[in-house]
Amino acid sequence: MSLLWLRLAVILYGVAALAVLPAALYHRPRWRHVALPAALAGAFFHFVSITETLVAAHRALPVDTHETLSWFGLLLVIAFLVLATRYRTVSFGIFLLPVAVLFTIVPAFRPGRESLSYSLVGTGWLLLLHIALLLTAYAALFLSLIASLLYLIQERRLKQKRAEPQRGWLPPLETLDQIGLNALRFGLPCMTAGLLIGSGLALQTIGLAFFADPKVLLSFAMWVAYVLMIFIRTHSGLRGRRAVYLSSFVFLGVLAVWAANSLSAVHRFKAP
Amino acid sequence: MGGEFAVGGAQVQGAMSERRVGSNAKVELLLLGVNHTTAPINVRERLAIPTERLGDATKMLAEQPGVREALILSTCNRVELLTVQDGMGADGDGSAVGGAPTLSMLRFLNEYLRVQVTDIQPHVYEFRESEAVRHLFRVASSLDSMVVGESQILGQVKQSWTVGRDVGAVKSTLDPLLQRAFSVAKRVRTETQIGKSTVSVASVAAELARKIFGSLTGKTVLLVGAGKMSDLTARHLIQQGTQTLLVANRTEARAQAIADALRTPSITTGVIPLAQLYEQAHRADIVITSTGAGHVFTPENARQVLQRRKNRPVFFIDIAVPRDVDPAVNDLEGCFVYDIDDLQQVAMQNKAVRNHEAEAAETIVSSEVARYREQMSRAPSREAIKQLMLDAEALRLQEMARIVQQLSREPLSEEQIAAVDRLTKSLTGKLLHPQIAALREDLGGSD
Repeated sequence: MSLLWLRLAVILYGVAALAVLPAALYHRPRWRHVALPAALAGAFFHFVSITETLVAAHRALPVDTHETLSWFGLLLVIAFLVLATRYRTVSFGIFLLPVAVLFTIVPAFRPGRESLSYSLVGTGWLLLLHIALLLTAYAALFLSLIASLLYLIQERRLKQKRAEPQRGWLPPLETLDQIGLNALRFGLPCMTAGLLIGSGLALQTIGLAFFADPKVLLSFAMWVAYVLMIFIRTHSGLRGRRAVYLSSFVFLGVLAVWAANSLSAVHRFKAP
Repeated sequence: MGGEFAVGGAQVQGAMSERRVGSNAKVELLLLGVNHTTAPINVRERLAIPTERLGDATKMLAEQPGVREALILSTCNRVELLTVQDGMGADGDGSAVGGAPTLSMLRFLNEYLRVQVTDIQPHVYEFRESEAVRHLFRVASSLDSMVVGESQILGQVKQSWTVGRDVGAVKSTLDPLLQRAFSVAKRVRTETQIGKSTVSVASVAAELARKIFGSLTGKTVLLVGAGKMSDLTARHLIQQGTQTLLVANRTEARAQAIADALRTPSITTGVIPLAQLYEQAHRADIVITSTGAGHVFTPENARQVLQRRKNRPVFFIDIAVPRDVDPAVNDLEGCFVYDIDDLQQVAMQNKAVRNHEAEAAETIVSSEVARYREQMSRAPSREAIKQLMLDAEALRLQEMARIVQQLSREPLSEEQIAAVDRLTKSLTGKLLHPQIAALREDLGGSD
């Protein structure tokens, strides 16, 4: 049954991703009324699917890459809905919704069969929090990257001096800058808390050897990069192209950490 | 006196169709007016009716002989009288130019505004029936405005409608017509892009500022030099929410005078000595230059401004000729430079977009006029059905009363009266059914 809800969510995300194009790019605001309800309904069914899966499996965690990506997709859709409500813009949907579809379509139609190699008894909710917080931080970083890219596009359009309707498809430059920076500021505490919880759990189950793992060290390096990025953006007013480079660099680093944690067997929280 | 009211130059366009409302009286929609295309300002200003006198004027117009309902629209670009005329006997079908209804309305203008009819008659246009409906829809949708697509006119039509209703001059015919005009205007605005772009240089500049900064609340504008256009642009920006205005000019007294002129309780103004321009320019988010002294802002000093602003964007609006801002400043990340040609070009492109959208809007108006006419053409059948049923019911009740009276010596019980009542109702219904069915067929079966 949970797969049915997930498939329904994918279809709704697909509808939203398509509807957002005329709404944002062809100045047809009526399509917002399709895109937003579709995305909202999709997020609802997605949440139902995740809950059903976890309850049925008597666990509180995503156990494989597909499930994790599906969670990430849900977070991106939530970010899109928050931005659409707060800033009255659906432009972010052009990028966020297709990524959400991509991340959800695989688990919906080819669910994985991986299982956890460690016991969750006692640490279940903490581990859940660890994963949820880190995924939220990644989503915030991704959002910040998209905001920086949109900033570049809007900047170029303004410099090219092209006429366009009163409210173009992109939010004002300053709004985009705020979205990018606020996303990072929101993501930092999530990443910090996620790492701290993860470290605490690892200390309990693995001990100090955990901190000798290069991937773990890379995770902390990424946290430092995240902090530096916010510091630079806040204090030097870094915007435009350089902000995109910086966000891209940190995002690629985070992707590398995540890929290393997911794919490498060295660090898998194996029970002692 | 009668000859004085002839409207020799009036325009009469479109079909002169008629319709009946209620009883047998002929009713015609008649619109008379002048606007920016037919009358110069000196004529329009003599005809303009101030808002505080609108109710009084509308009431007086509605009291003119033959006028059943009335509405007056008076703006800086047009004065229009829309009336529902009744009893057109004097002119036959009332379609002749300068007929009694037209004369009556011109007489009203003459009496109310003390304007000689001969002075205004060459500028007056006249529309009747469906053409009057079309004109009203076009006006409400801002297709007949000086700046096509501007949004003010709809509010002005709504104000006239409210006033007309308050004084009892807008009733069963004009009220639904006006409401339809509002929905047509709304449809035009939502289904086309007609009002989505700005078309004056000052408003284009303000709109661009909004694209850079979003809300302009709390933003600072720096005026470098003085000029009409820069003053107008600054005022536009103030309207959009800018709260701080700095002025730099060669003569400080002139700068102070400009600052004083633009200062209001909600606007803070200040004067910057021209010698300190580069030290102070970083305080401004928007710089409007109009000195014409050549490159006041070069890439070097613009870069310094940016550094002091911690790379926060700065918008240069260069209205001067020769230009005050080196075009190369636009290449700096965070600097946006628009000169007068750029602004005019954007305004022209926006105008072209509006004109293109106006074509789509005209199609909407045409379809809505056709729909309105179709609905109105059904009105007589609807009225006839209603009248037939009322007449039949009156007859039935009369006959019932007569029977009850005849049997007063041996009165019927309540049950018997109820049975006779049911019987007569049923008979009346069955007898009327074929006629009502035929009339409903006239309505296209929709009712």
